Amino acid sequence: MIAFDYGKAPYPIRPDIPAAYQAFWQRLARPGSWWTGEQRVAIAAETRAALDCNWCASRKAALSPYGQEGEHTQYAQATGVLSDLAVDAVHRVITDQSRITQHYVNDNAERGLSKGAYVELVGLVVAVFSIDEFHRALGLGLEDLPQPIAGAVSEYRPQHLSEDVGFVPTIPLEGAVGPEADLWPSGRTANVMRALTLVPDALRDWAHIGSAQYLSFQQMQNMGQEDGRALNRMQIEMIAGRVSAINECFY
Amino acid sequence: MLRASAKTNQTEIDLQSIRGSANSATKGIEFGSLLLRFAESVARRDTVTIAASRNALLESAGPLVVVDAAGVAANFQRMVRIADSIGIPVDDMNTELGQQVRAELKLEEFASAQNTLS
Repeated sequence: MIAFDYGKAPYPIRPDIPAAYQAFWQRLARPGSWWTGEQRVAIAAETRAALDCNWCASRKAALSPYGQEGEHTQYAQATGVLSDLAVDAVHRVITDQSRITQHYVNDNAERGLSKGAYVELVGLVVAVFSIDEFHRALGLGLEDLPQPIAGAVSEYRPQHLSEDVGFVPTIPLEGAVGPEADLWPSGRTANVMRALTLVPDALRDWAHIGSAQYLSFQQMQNMGQEDGRALNRMQIEMIAGRVSAINECFY
Repeated sequence: MLRASAKTNQTEIDLQSIRGSANSATKGIEFGSLLLRFAESVARRDTVTIAASRNALLESAGPLVVVDAAGVAANFQRMVRIADSIGIPVDDMNTELGQQVRAELKLEEFASAQNTLS
């Protein structure tokens, strides 16, 4: 069965959207830099479980999200595949991301969730979440998760990294060379593009899905009307701004 | 980006739509208030209002607009989580346009402002 078959959807959906989702679903199932295919699919499952987690709801209401004991509602099939640290990280990214701190990321790294693993986890969580959110926005059922593909992680780490922005090392502007030469083809970048570059494939996933849902890096430079889009740029940016404001995103 | 796109298109808009003003959303933006309500319902993940706001947008603007709006809203449900989970600061706090927008929308109230301001 083909994933993301929108043939029976009540709306005509641009073909680049299911193409981007299908490609990501295939990558999701395979081993990544720091997580196996089984773990990556479990991270995707936890992304869905976080939305119904009672402990997350309780912690979200607390003055501080740190220093409290509790147990997350976990996706049954994923239980045991991921460490408690990983499960907690998935849930925080979904339900309380604005209160994640440098200390939290550093502490996790000391306790076994490396910064590389954290970045890959964030990339997977946000990709799955955005695809699911697209379905929920249109009243469509969620796509079944893919079957994991066995294999070893690559442990790939980019050669050129710096620690000048954010909680984790990132590739600087001039560091996108060699295997990373494709990351910002225009020769320009921004902190949000650099954010996931400790795991370059996480940025590639973001760019591919974002091109379908929003705009490609090249299209972002054009403030006018894009061919093939029903919304003009002002309509697009008002939606973007309002969603970001509700999520209390300063960036 | 909203202000930049409005300048490029020589259109007067009211940025307060970003903070939820439906009246502001109607200024210079076609289907503005309907798009705003749909975006809010997706961001708040309220299934009842998602359906209602989607149907209202569908009736007025058509299915292509609904699908594109769903894509943009879904994308920014992701982007805010990337920015905050990695703690990235604003690239340049010194641009006049950025300073104006942050002040006008009181963005420094947001918890994630600490990633830039601290």
